[in-house]
Amino acid sequence: MIKKSLKPFRDIIALALGHLTVFKHVFKKPVTLEYPEKKLPLNDKFRGEHALVVDNEGNLLCTACGTCQRVCPSFGTIEIEKEKTEDGKFYPKNYTIDLSKCIFCGNCVQYCPFGAITMTKEYELADEKKSALKLDINTLKKNYSDSIIGERDTSKR
Amino acid sequence: MTTKNKLKINIGPQHPSTHGVLRLVLELEGEIIKSCEPVIGYLHRGMEKMAESHTYLQYLPIVDRIDYLSGFFNSFAYCNAVENLTQIEVSKRSQYIRVLTMEMNRLSSHLLWLGTFLLDMGATSPLFYTFRDREVILSLFEELTGQRLMYNYYTFGGLRHDVSSDWLDKITDFVKIMPKKIQDYENIITNNPIFTTRTKNIGIMSKNSALQYSITGPNLRATGINVDSRKTIHPFACSPIQLIYPELDFQIPTAQNGDSFDRYKVRVEEMKACLKLISQCVDWLKSNSGEVISPIKQPLLKVPEGEFISNVEAPRGVCSCYVKSDGSTKPYRVKWRTGSFYAVQILPKLLENAFYPDLMAIFGSLDVILPEVDR
Repeated sequence: MIKKSLKPFRDIIALALGHLTVFKHVFKKPVTLEYPEKKLPLNDKFRGEHALVVDNEGNLLCTACGTCQRVCPSFGTIEIEKEKTEDGKFYPKNYTIDLSKCIFCGNCVQYCPFGAITMTKEYELADEKKSALKLDINTLKKNYSDSIIGERDTSKR
Repeated sequence: MTTKNKLKINIGPQHPSTHGVLRLVLELEGEIIKSCEPVIGYLHRGMEKMAESHTYLQYLPIVDRIDYLSGFFNSFAYCNAVENLTQIEVSKRSQYIRVLTMEMNRLSSHLLWLGTFLLDMGATSPLFYTFRDREVILSLFEELTGQRLMYNYYTFGGLRHDVSSDWLDKITDFVKIMPKKIQDYENIITNNPIFTTRTKNIGIMSKNSALQYSITGPNLRATGINVDSRKTIHPFACSPIQLIYPELDFQIPTAQNGDSFDRYKVRVEEMKACLKLISQCVDWLKSNSGEVISPIKQPLLKVPEGEFISNVEAPRGVCSCYVKSDGSTKPYRVKWRTGSFYAVQILPKLLENAFYPDLMAIFGSLDVILPEVDR
């Protein structure tokens, strides 16, 4: 009987404690970020839009071996046109990545034997046209040079 | 006719409280639920069939998408099965990192559950607090793996890359502040009279029915049965990870009644146990070094003929992965067993003769994730 009569008091104490905990948060700094104006800093391992690595002389490291195609879980994302130079080396004539099929798992980067493909920090990939999501070799080269500089002109895409 | 007074209504498939796309066909008599029929399959992606057309490595990133809130567990179950089939040794350091990331994943999953469960019951503040703390874990994962939910971090025989000491320091800081945050949640929720009256003695799952429906995870432990595949060795699987868990000191929380409140209580206690495990793993990793990169470098992995079932205690119950290999580069069959599927099956039994407003207090406490049910 005593226990039951005390129940309202215990409830009031519990409610007051809860309200006090919530009220304490009024004085704390906000943790939210106003996204389009301010952006979170990203780290180097972030898996965003792809880029083909270009060496100092302006040549691609890619030899069109096709390992990236074989490890890609989504079929038909990467398409490579293979060509041979006069001294017998293979190079990609065209290299297309379809971002609408890509699941950004990073397998192509991980298993590339030459380190020829990387992922940049670009993540705002929405576009009005589907054709804009197909990255050809020139876009992928440009992505790499832009990722080194750290600036990117997104208005042209 | 008796059906004259009955009202048939649909909940879902697109209802904010169903955490995905679940449809419940309810038969009401006034305010009392007479029968309930869950309709699943709206999120079916053919994960098991997909395995047969992908190579072992190609299937690895897809595995994370089975349960998007605890991707590490699915990834571990699949990797472990393939490792056992191919007899690859996993180094101790990578096993410790696996346990560390998995326990952090469990914590983040439980935090999301806690926030959304209370949101279903009408409390808005805890949602913001739990998501704030979950964000810390997710940004730590992003720093380690490159993405927030779809990690693709484990490989066969190891990990993609080692953890840095800076990252471990950040976890130490996180573990220090987290108990205070959990205390905050408990201050708001545990003794709150509105919460306790809505959850105590609601949706009682008896020991017997839990066993009959093969419920696992916190839902089972809330009924008083102390079964956890981290402690108990499964008779069908000898996972390498069982070498690690006995080295760690942790308690498995249980409750007695099996009602909604007990399921809440077990999960909150489990969060505290997670923190204990995380700090032990961090201590070990700081004082020991080793190799984590897998010895297998080639992308095409040929798995010898055989079959294996690997089990792991995921946040929503035992997650097991059955892999059958015919000796080629693609799996012959992959079968998944996930905890949420069984929690949905017991729902009609729990909802029988329950009040309609109690529906979300019961369903939310089961912690069902629909992508995991449908796969």
